[in-house]
Amino acid sequence: MTSILLNALQYLGYILIFPGFLFCFVCGMLLCGIDRKLVARMQKRVGPPILQPFYDFFKLCGKETIIPDAASRTTFLAAPLVGLAALVVIQLFVPIHGFSAFYGMADVIVILYLLLIPALASILGAAASGSPYAGIGLSREMVTIISCELPLVLILLAIAKTVGNALGTGLCFSLSAIADYQLVHGSLITKARMIPAAIAMLLVIPGETGNHPFDAAEAETEICEGMLAEYSGGPLAVFKLSHAVKMLTLTSLFVALFLGGVGTGITAVDGVVVFILCVIVTAVSISFVHAVTARLKIEQIFKYYWTVVSGLALVSLVLAWYGL
Amino acid sequence: MFKKLIEESTAKSPWLFHINSGSCNGCDIELVAILTPRYDVERLGFKLAGSPRQADIVVVTGPITKQSLPRVLRSISQVPEPRCIVTMGSCPQSGNVFKGSYSVAGPLSKYVHVDVDIAGCAPKPEAIIDGLALATQILKEKRGQM
Amino acid sequence: MDFPFVREAVVKLFSKPSTQLYPAVPSEAAPGYRGKIVFHPETCINCGMCERVCAGGAISTTVEKTEEGDKITRTFDLGSCTFCNTCADFCSRHSIELTRDYHMIGVEEGDLLVSGTFIKAPPKRPAPKPAPTPKPVEEKKADTPAPAPEN
Repeated sequence: MTSILLNALQYLGYILIFPGFLFCFVCGMLLCGIDRKLVARMQKRVGPPILQPFYDFFKLCGKETIIPDAASRTTFLAAPLVGLAALVVIQLFVPIHGFSAFYGMADVIVILYLLLIPALASILGAAASGSPYAGIGLSREMVTIISCELPLVLILLAIAKTVGNALGTGLCFSLSAIADYQLVHGSLITKARMIPAAIAMLLVIPGETGNHPFDAAEAETEICEGMLAEYSGGPLAVFKLSHAVKMLTLTSLFVALFLGGVGTGITAVDGVVVFILCVIVTAVSISFVHAVTARLKIEQIFKYYWTVVSGLALVSLVLAWYGL
Repeated sequence: MFKKLIEESTAKSPWLFHINSGSCNGCDIELVAILTPRYDVERLGFKLAGSPRQADIVVVTGPITKQSLPRVLRSISQVPEPRCIVTMGSCPQSGNVFKGSYSVAGPLSKYVHVDVDIAGCAPKPEAIIDGLALATQILKEKRGQM
Repeated sequence: MDFPFVREAVVKLFSKPSTQLYPAVPSEAAPGYRGKIVFHPETCINCGMCERVCAGGAISTTVEKTEEGDKITRTFDLGSCTFCNTCADFCSRHSIELTRDYHMIGVEEGDLLVSGTFIKAPPKRPAPKPAPTPKPVEEKKADTPAPAPEN
């Protein structure tokens, strides 16, 4: 009886504190702040303080929430929360150098499906707000999701085949097995055939989070903020939080899949090490790309992802399939 | 406990929404000049928001022409509380050289309560930063009273 | 597809930003900047030229009659001024000056008004000169009397 209670408390601690809500909140916002600061420094200006996203979040919590007349109330208010919940669940399943909150319970395909939910939540929220600007934004977001899915599937297949070949089974989709494999044999990025897949994943990350230059869905000046045009106050704060947590989730997924061999055995130190690696991945894939490019049109985003990025992932998949 | 945190955060992260109601664009150019690397108000937390529903401070330029008057009022009414309205330049404050024209609907203070006026034609970016800092303090007080 | 700013982005990441930290570090306007108006009422003669040529209609005058003369108040509305310097150009006594001060923020009603008051008295009439005393008529006795007519 007590062991069940202790187990329940432990899992509650995982959900609420360590790779759950509090960790996602603090680290996601820190990543977002570091990204803005780096972009500003690359543009030769000082930039906001690193804690700026926290100030934004609390300021938005203090604003009035206006619900437009043409909006359907329940969907409008519930959509951001659904998106945030899905992202926290993904973060619970991603291993942090051998420590995994729910060991062996989820595999890569579940992560793929769960990654679709926040995007769908923002689409539903935009559709519920009843504004034509949000309509344009959501159709662009749908195209962006479709264009990011193909390279992501190819990358995950390449990883699954590599680990599966090494372990003797056909395709190994289990995240825990991939993490364990990297603990023994070193990070997957050290294998030459995985490098095109790593580059492809670095290019998929800004598209999934909706960062510049792939932010045609939430283009500020063009379509009055796009999908979030009618949001204000509390729900907007949750949307901005889920954007920040999505950055953390995707970068920690990259670290778990490609850089899994880096770290000590102690969980607390590993948390810090993984966070530092996430910062480096953010700097390279999100901030740097933000600072040197202009915003792409939606047709260009689609074409870019389905030719260049998919091509890189396909190279890795072919190399992995034939065991080269 | 959260009240103080929210008040402090309101002063550190005001988002701007810019409405041009028929101006000559001189003031608009100076407003976006403060976002360039030389003056960089982003270090004080300012950001241009794309939609009035996401803004705290509304910056209005231009003499309010008769054609743009209903649209300006509608945009301002969509800004959630607490909000602060700042007029920039001498055009929205009195019409400047366009006073008495057939198409100018008069100073903005006839229609909404204006919190801060930044005078100048066009005001210098440093003066705009001063005015926006004052507007941020007024915003913090309004949040404290809500 | 080319990326022209890659090298600059990396180089600028490690160099000093080129931002002027304005509220912390004060900054002065360029020489010749036309900023806030300063009015010297003691040199004004109330010719009214500035009010006539003002582009934005920002100058107004009120006159109040007192026993010393006219008490004239000239007000410059900075919220209506376009800082063109025409009033200062036309002022023959140089009583209007556009300084380099650019901090003009108004919160209350009268924050953006600059005014000056002076008294214009008509010149005093000089004291009336005393009437000239008529020159004394010289006695003809001093001259030789006219000769008596000879019989």
